[in-house]
Amino acid sequence: MTERNYTTVNPCVMCQPMGSVMAFKGIESSMVLMHGSQGCSTYMRLHLSHHFREPVDIASTSLSERGAVYGGSENLKKGLRNVMLRYHPKVIGVTTTCLAETIGDDVGRILTEFREEDKNADGVHIISVSTPSYEDDHTTGFIKAVDAIVRHFTEYGMGNDIFNNKLNVVLGENIAPEDTRELKRMLEATIGPRSFIFMPDTSETFDAPMTGKVEKIFPGGTPLSEIAYMKNCAASIGLGITSDNRAVDHLETKYKVPAKRVPMPIGLEYSDRIMSVLSEIAGCEIPETYRKERGRLIDAMVDVHKYLYGTRVAIYGDPEMVLGMLSLSLENGMYPVLVAPSCKTPAFRKHAQERIDAMNLDCDVKIFEGLDFDAFNDVVREAEPEILIGNSNGKYISQQTGVPLIRVGFPIHDRVGAQRILMMGYRGAMNMLDRITNTILETKDIELEKKWLQNKNTDLQESCCGLKSAHMQPH
Amino acid sequence: MPEIKNFVTTLEERQPYIALKQKVKGETLLACDNTSIAGAMSQRACVYSGARVALNPVTDAVHLVHGPIGCASYTWDIRGSRSSGKETYRTSFSTDMKGIDVVFGGEKKLSRAIDELVELYKPPVVFVYSTCIVGIIGDDLEAVCKAASEKNGIPVISVKSEGFKGTKSDGYKAACEALKVLIGTKEGNIRSPYRINLIGEFNVAGDVWLVKPLFEEMRIQVVTSLTGDSTAQSISECHTAQLNLVQCTGSMTTLAKWMKEEYGIPFRKVSYFGIEDLSTALRETAEFFGSEEMNQKAEEIIARETAKIMPDIRRIRSRLEGKRAAIYMGGAAKALTLIKGFRELGMEVVIIGTQTGKKDDYLQISYEVKDGTVIVDDANPLELAELLVKQKADLMVAGVKERFLAYKTGVAFCDFNHDRVVEFEGFEGFLNFAREMDSSINSPVWKAAKSNIKDSVDNQAIKAEKVPGTHIENVQEDVVIIGGMEA
Ligand code: SF4
Ligand code: SF4
Repeated sequence: MTERNYTTVNPCVMCQPMGSVMAFKGIESSMVLMHGSQGCSTYMRLHLSHHFREPVDIASTSLSERGAVYGGSENLKKGLRNVMLRYHPKVIGVTTTCLAETIGDDVGRILTEFREEDKNADGVHIISVSTPSYEDDHTTGFIKAVDAIVRHFTEYGMGNDIFNNKLNVVLGENIAPEDTRELKRMLEATIGPRSFIFMPDTSETFDAPMTGKVEKIFPGGTPLSEIAYMKNCAASIGLGITSDNRAVDHLETKYKVPAKRVPMPIGLEYSDRIMSVLSEIAGCEIPETYRKERGRLIDAMVDVHKYLYGTRVAIYGDPEMVLGMLSLSLENGMYPVLVAPSCKTPAFRKHAQERIDAMNLDCDVKIFEGLDFDAFNDVVREAEPEILIGNSNGKYISQQTGVPLIRVGFPIHDRVGAQRILMMGYRGAMNMLDRITNTILETKDIELEKKWLQNKNTDLQESCCGLKSAHMQPH
Repeated sequence: MPEIKNFVTTLEERQPYIALKQKVKGETLLACDNTSIAGAMSQRACVYSGARVALNPVTDAVHLVHGPIGCASYTWDIRGSRSSGKETYRTSFSTDMKGIDVVFGGEKKLSRAIDELVELYKPPVVFVYSTCIVGIIGDDLEAVCKAASEKNGIPVISVKSEGFKGTKSDGYKAACEALKVLIGTKEGNIRSPYRINLIGEFNVAGDVWLVKPLFEEMRIQVVTSLTGDSTAQSISECHTAQLNLVQCTGSMTTLAKWMKEEYGIPFRKVSYFGIEDLSTALRETAEFFGSEEMNQKAEEIIARETAKIMPDIRRIRSRLEGKRAAIYMGGAAKALTLIKGFRELGMEVVIIGTQTGKKDDYLQISYEVKDGTVIVDDANPLELAELLVKQKADLMVAGVKERFLAYKTGVAFCDFNHDRVVEFEGFEGFLNFAREMDSSINSPVWKAAKSNIKDSVDNQAIKAEKVPGTHIENVQEDVVIIGGMEA
C-alpha cells in the first residue's frame, strides 16, 4: 500500500452536517438551517439531489467575513426568521459547519435569545446539533441528530407520560427510502400497523411522488407527536450495531424503555434476527407471508449457490451496510476478501469477525476501516476481487481494474434508482442475490464469448494455413 | 429597468432582486452583486467553489484542498470537463484537517502534505485551496506554498478561497490570481503567425474539441484554453498569443484585462454557442488578424457547417416554435448567449436569472429580453418554482439543483452546467442542444405528469349494469389531464 501520512486522496467519508441533514429530512415538517457560510449547504444539496433525484432544500446562515469576525448571532437569527417566513416548518434543525464551530458561536445561547426575542418562534421546534467535521464524519452526524431530535421531543415536547404499547424503531445509519418502506411493511405484519414509531422515515421525503403540487416541504417523515411519545413505549429496537445508538441508549437509561440492538436486516441471518426479535416483542408467530418469503429466499440461495461459491468480493461503504453485505456474502459462500467500512466504529470489527469465524472460509478476509479510495484502490489490486459492492465512488477503481461494481449505499450519482434499491429483509436479500449473480453471469458470458471467438479464429487460421500460429492460441 | 414590486411572494428583502421587464419610462435597477441573505436558500456556492470550478480543469495539476474533509468530498470530480491527456485533476486531495490542526494550526501538515503529493504524483504544479476554517485559524498559506515551491522546484500556488470571504465571483478572481503566477513562465512553442487563447472555456463534455478545429482550420494556433483541457505547460506559454477570446466573462475577464496590461494582448468577448454568436466569434477573430484569406476561410466554414446542421435544426425548430424557456445560470455570459440560442430555435425567454450577475450584465440582459420577462438575481427554489408556474415556462435551463425542482413543477429541463455529457458549443454542439430541447420538451412523460386517476366511486352502479371485463375501459376514460399546476 502506498504510504501517505498527511493527505486524504479521494475521500470515502462526508462531513458531519450531511448525516445530520439526512436525519432531519426524515422528520415531519422539518427544515435544516446550516450555520456557516453558503458553500457547505449548497454542496450538500447537490450531493443529495444527485442521489435521490429530488429537490433538496437546506438553508444556510450565509456567514460572511463580518459574521466570521463578530460572531454569527445576527445571521443565525435572521436565517431562522427567514426560514420560518418562507417555509413554515414545524421543526428547524440547526446544524453547524466547521466555520461556525471554529469561530466559537454559542448556538445554544443564541437560540435562547432568539426564543425570547421572537414570539413567532413559539410554535417552532428549534433543535441544534453541533457537527464540526474536523471531528467525526457523516455517520456520527446522523446518530447525533437523531439523538438530539428524540431528546428534544421527549423532554420539551407535547407528550404526556402515559404508557403506550408501541415499539420504537430507531435507525443507526441512513437507509434507502425503499428499504424504509420494506422495514415498515415487516413491522406492520408483525407488530401491527400504527404500533411502532419509525425514526427517521425518509420514505416519502426523499422519494416524493409527483402530485401535481409543488410542496415547500415534502409531506411525510416521522410524525412529531409520535416522537414525543417515544419515552412511553414498551420497547425500542436500535437498527445497527457498529456504533452506539445514542437515542435508544438515552430512552433506555432515562425512561427505562428496554432496548434491543440488531444489525440492519441484510441477508438471511440478519433478517431472521429482526424477525425473531419482532415476533418475541409482539408475542406473535412469524406471519405466513414472511415464512413464505423466507422460503423463497432460501430457494433463491440454493438456485444460485454454485455461481456464488468462492466468488471474491470487496465490500465498502457505510459501516452498517457493509456489515450486512458481508453477512449476506458469507452465508452464500462468497469470499469477502476485502471489507472496508468508510469510517472507524467501535464494534464493526468484532461483529464482522464473529460472522467470519462462523464460516469455514478458504480465504483471507482483510478488514480496513476508514481508508480513502486511493488506499482502497491499492488493496483492491492486492486482493483481486471479482466483484465490488459499494457506492458510486468506487466506479474509478472499477473502470481501471475492470472489476464490475454493484452499486449500493450512498452516494449513487451515476445511475438511476438509488432511492429504490431494496436491500433489506428477505425480499431485499433476494434482490441482492439476483443482482450479484446476474453480474457474475454477464461477466462470464463476455469472457466465454471472447474465448470462443479466439478459438474460432484459431480454427479458421488452422484450416486456412494448415498451421496454428503461436500467438493465436487461447490462453 | 422598470419593475413591478411583489411579482412573486418572497421575503421583502428579496424583492429588489426580482424585476419584470415592461415598457415604462425611467430605469429601476435590479439589486445584485451582494452576499446572500441568511435563510433565503440561495442556489449559490462559496468562494472556494468559484475558484475550484475555474481552476479544476487544469488537467495535470494536483488540486489540494486545505481544510476539513467535506469541502473536498463534495468537489471530487464535479466538473464534467474533459482531458485529452493527464487525469490528475479528477482526483480529490485533501489535508483532512482534524481538531488538533484547528487548535495548533495546519501549516506543518500542509507543508508535509505538499511534499508527499509531489513525491507521489510528480505534478508540474500544485494548487492549494484555502477553505473557511483556514481563514479563521490564520494559516499562512502563502508562506507555506512559497517554501514548498523552493523545496520541490515546481510552482506551488496558494488560492485564496476561504468560503466566507465574499461570493463565488471572488473565487473566480482568486483563480485568476493563481493563474497569473503561471502565465509567462515558459518560452512559447510558436507554430503559426496567428495565435489565440480561448479564455473562460472549460471543455465541459469536450466542448473545446468542437471549437478548436474551427480556428485551426483558419490557420490559427490555439495556445491554450483556460482552463478546459489545459496543462501547466500550456498555461505558462499563453502569453505568446496575440489575441484573447473571452467566453465566460464573469469568471475570467479580470485575467484578460491583466494580460492586456502585462503583455499587451487585446481581448474580445465571444461565445461559441449558437450559430449567430459562433459565427461572430469566427468573423471577429479573422477581422482582428486582418487577413483576407482568413476572412474567406471563416465564411467558408460558417457556410459549410451551417448547411450541415440546418436541415436538422429546421426540423427540430418546428417542434419547438413558441415554447417558453426559463434560464437560471451561474454567470451572465451564458445567460446572454442562451437568449440568442433560444431565438434561433424559435423559442422565447420568459425568465432569466443568474447567481453572480453584475449591474452591467443585468442592464444588457434587460435590453435583450422581451417585455414581460422576469429578471432575477440569486434566486431561491421557492421563487423559481413560483416563477416557472406564473410565467408558464415549458422548459428550464440550469444546473442540477434546479433540475429536480423543474421536474417536480412539471417543467422540462436541460442541464447547461457541469453535469451534461454532450457538447453544446460549436456547430454540432448547437444541434446537440436543439436535440436536448426537443427530447425534454416533447417527451410524452409531461402528459403523464399532468394526468391523474380518478376514484370511480359510482363505478359500483356502473359495474352492476355492465358485463364483467368491460370496466377496464372506464378506468382509462377516468384518466384526467390536469391543466396547469399550482405552486
Ligand atoms: S466546512 Fe466543514 S461542514 Fe462545510 S463542507 Fe467543509 S467539512 Fe463540511
Ligand atoms: S467550508 Fe467554506 S470553503 Fe468549504 S464548502 Fe463550506 S463555505 Fe465552501
